[in-house]
Amino acid sequence: MSLDPSELHTRDHSGFLAEVQSFEFWFQSVEGYLHDRPYGVAADTPMPELEPERRRALVTTLSTYCVGEVAALEGASGMIGFAPNRATKIFLATQAVDEARHLEVLLHRLHELGEDDAEATFEARSNPHLLAFRDRLLRCVAERDWLASVFAQNVVLESMEFAAFHSHAKTADPRTAQMLSGILKDERRHIGFGENDLGRHLRRHPADRARLQTLKRELDPLVLACFEDSLARLGISASERPDVGRLYLESVARLGIAG
Amino acid sequence: MTMEDLRSEAGFDPAEVETVGLDADDRPGASTGRRTDPDGDDPASPRRRFELLDDTGFDEVPAKYRRFYRRWQGEADVLAPNEVLCPVCKVVIRSARELRPGDRVYCMPCMSRLEVVRAASGRLEAIVRY
Repeated sequence: MSLDPSELHTRDHSGFLAEVQSFEFWFQSVEGYLHDRPYGVAADTPMPELEPERRRALVTTLSTYCVGEVAALEGASGMIGFAPNRATKIFLATQAVDEARHLEVLLHRLHELGEDDAEATFEARSNPHLLAFRDRLLRCVAERDWLASVFAQNVVLESMEFAAFHSHAKTADPRTAQMLSGILKDERRHIGFGENDLGRHLRRHPADRARLQTLKRELDPLVLACFEDSLARLGISASERPDVGRLYLESVARLGIAG
Repeated sequence: MTMEDLRSEAGFDPAEVETVGLDADDRPGASTGRRTDPDGDDPASPRRRFELLDDTGFDEVPAKYRRFYRRWQGEADVLAPNEVLCPVCKVVIRSARELRPGDRVYCMPCMSRLEVVRAASGRLEAIVRY
């Protein structure tokens, strides 16, 4: 069922969720910002010449991003198998497509930067903390632990990526910035899905907060260290760096699992 | 006035007041029924209506919904009486009517249901209602 746009804010919650988690909603949303942007970049965007050191730093950072996207791609697609209902399965299918696209545009940008064998080498260049995080996330998925998987992927990983990409896009070359901007637009859906799904669950099962707090304490150091390192590598000094974890910290505070 | 009272009157009624003006408060004819309460929280006072312009530059939702959202410009961004900031994804949500505490709004970009509240600072804010 489609919402009447003239009365958007007065619709019932279930009708709203049915629409925003649909494939149709996803398709019409991404069409707005991906149309005519092959690999996430407008064709007339100039190809910048980067200094060797800056290029190396960018290659390393994009390689780390690739690991995050592969983790999210495998995570989202794996979660479809034990998602609690049809709407959630469909939303996760759209997220899996988003993550696949992110990986593809990142690899394409690495090719543009002269990394012809990027697919075979990005993992070796990636931050070790993120590799550890990925392993933990995929273990949650393999155990079919819905709560832990949603938290690790859609709250922790997605909000950290959102903050890191947002900061990076401000200082990046035009092609990288445009590519990251397109990814950020997808991330809003992923973050919101995670917080709202967990929020609804925790409202009914408040005792589950303790388990998520334990997982949070395990994951926090891995992801925070990874993205702090990535921003430092890009030359964003600590004083200039925004609080990378703010969005994430606000989210876990709203969910009642901070600390 | 309890929050429940406010909530019960929050439903949109197209016949409530006539559609007027454009986004800015100060446009001639932009409001109907001047408020006497400074915060606009009195449910008895008429709400101002806003005609939402189609193109806010926001392209993350289907075209028919884009006028309900715009990008937040940061801390210096002054929100209009029909706008509130989504705390989850930091997009400005817009309504066709003046917002008041107890109103429900939806953030489509991040799929959140929100309730409008008046913060200690006096500003209207939104909190997530899972």
